Amino acid sequence: MDAKSRILSRIRHALKDRPKALLPEHPHPAFSQDTMELFLKRLAENGAEGHLVDKEGARKLLADLAQGLPGAAYGKGVPDALRLLPELPPEEAPLGVSRALFAVAETGTVALSSEDGRRTQLLPPVHLVLVEEKRVYPSLLEAFLDLKSLPSAIGLHSGPSKSADIGQVMVKGVHGPGRLVVAVLQGTW
Amino acid sequence: MRVKAKLYPKEAARLLREQPGVREAVTGATLHFEANRKRAYQEIDAEAWRERARRVKDHLLTHLDHYLELAEKRLQEKGVQVHWAEDPEEAHRILREIVARHGVKRAVKAKSMLTEELGVNPLLESLGVEVYETDLGEYLIQLLGEPPSHIVGPAIHLALSDIQRLFHQRFGTPLDASPEALAAVARKVLREAFLTADLGISGANFLVAETGTLALMENEGNIRLSTSLPRVHVAFVGIEKLLPRFADLALFLPLTARAATGQRLSTYVSLIQGPAKEGEEGPQEVHVVLVDHGRTALLHDPEAWEVLRCLRCGACLNACPVYRQTGGHPYGYVYSGPIGAVLDPGLLGLEDTYPLPYASTLCGACYEACPVKIPIPKLLLAWRNRAVERGLAPTWEKGAMQAFAKVMQSPSLYRLLSKALRGFPLPQDLLPLLKAWTEGRGPLQPSPKPFHQLWQELKE
Ligand code: SF4
Repeated sequence: MDAKSRILSRIRHALKDRPKALLPEHPHPAFSQDTMELFLKRLAENGAEGHLVDKEGARKLLADLAQGLPGAAYGKGVPDALRLLPELPPEEAPLGVSRALFAVAETGTVALSSEDGRRTQLLPPVHLVLVEEKRVYPSLLEAFLDLKSLPSAIGLHSGPSKSADIGQVMVKGVHGPGRLVVAVLQGTW
Repeated sequence: MRVKAKLYPKEAARLLREQPGVREAVTGATLHFEANRKRAYQEIDAEAWRERARRVKDHLLTHLDHYLELAEKRLQEKGVQVHWAEDPEEAHRILREIVARHGVKRAVKAKSMLTEELGVNPLLESLGVEVYETDLGEYLIQLLGEPPSHIVGPAIHLALSDIQRLFHQRFGTPLDASPEALAAVARKVLREAFLTADLGISGANFLVAETGTLALMENEGNIRLSTSLPRVHVAFVGIEKLLPRFADLALFLPLTARAATGQRLSTYVSLIQGPAKEGEEGPQEVHVVLVDHGRTALLHDPEAWEVLRCLRCGACLNACPVYRQTGGHPYGYVYSGPIGAVLDPGLLGLEDTYPLPYASTLCGACYEACPVKIPIPKLLLAWRNRAVERGLAPTWEKGAMQAFAKVMQSPSLYRLLSKALRGFPLPQDLLPLLKAWTEGRGPLQPSPKPFHQLWQELKE
């Protein structure tokens, strides 16, 4: 017998007389009316910056962030209209720009797909994430129940990289970006 | 890892004598975590969340064979290579083969308690692989050659000054370097490691059976980097870490974060479905090693199996007045605090861990904190009963308890004895039990009047 069969047979033996517990249903998703307000509030509480912008506003936000920088790393889904700086590899870029799969108000989270490019999401010290307004879900449960297919990896980011491991003092930007900026894009892109 | 749980009382006493700073550091950190957890629980219907989580976990555990097979199937469909390991030796063999096949020279590791159990670091070092712990706290204790002292904050027993001294010796930073400056040094070393490692090693907070999703929680970003940059990723997963459905993560991720650190969600969550697809960045190979190492034996135990619901959030450690005194090291194994006191005997046997179930005041704070409602006080008593039954507890304990019960059940005997005590004080230094008590406190002095007399006077 191999390890798998031995482990499974021990489990079956252990469970032989144990009453089976039922699996509870997921709770009904709670309807929240002011999703956007909550999302921006929670982002701020997480130490991130959130902006609700139209096309023009998005260009301006990017131009502000880009000031004085030699270039940026871009995720695959970033529209050409927002590629204002020359492209640099993520290892060298002072700014990374990604497009999120979705966002969650409840936790102030942006969800990033591996299909957009992982290095851009992690290596530059500043990370700008674009997310369409209609992709902002009130709760994690609603977002998860709505996912049709899963990319090879999803990263949920809820604020800048941080650690309190050195003497309980909060330090930002330990491994990932020390600054997270989220632009919620109004309209269709 | 070497188990030193038998030495618990001695080691705890030694630590309190020789390193009083540890108590201060651990108490400070745990009180902070505990306050955050309480605030985070108040924001939700904590009772409902915990009850739901308990039920999901109980369903999972009572159908574990089914869900393990389903998880394996889903993982394989996504191109993940699944391995099963009964014990550390089998886990080592699997890892050794992967290291040899890919000619691994350097590995980056994400913090994982299971890999501590399995002794992954010493194995890799013996194979000539350079291993970097990449969680900042874990990196600190790796530099010091110490085991973790807390499930979530492995280095909470260290004061800033300890770390300043360590980095001064290692990297020549000034003795008064700020936490930011120290973190910057570590970041530089570890960034280089991420970019050059051939292998990334992690544990898993959850493995979803329905989709074969590995879920990993953290705040620093080191886990996302460890599982994104190297071309091979190996995840060690305890067989109890499964969840039935993908959407169950919507309950378990925020609940674990709230219990552990008081956050609504940890800063980074990685949900991994498999190796990178054509033209995508990410590891070319992903391996999942499903590990038993004592868990099936625990599942078999009708009195102790509930401990397998544990999410390793550390909330019970933060709530525990006993843990706060010394931190985790005296417990002598990977898992310390209340969860260690009921998990370690199950994983390793009571013979090797006998004193741990006694490392508690039975105050119940651990149960109140636990996100999956593990009845830790009840489990502690079950293990204590077994210790007495198996003759592990000293025989005088059983005798003393029986005598105590007899006296307490008989009013006349009680009166007689308390009268005698007032007349002839106890030979305090002769009785070993009382000696242990009086050493730290001063002599026991019976009240001059019995309680029932005082009560009578009060009523009049
Ligand atoms: S026993 Fe409960 S509180 Fe303790 S680590 Fe496990 S899940 Fe957390």
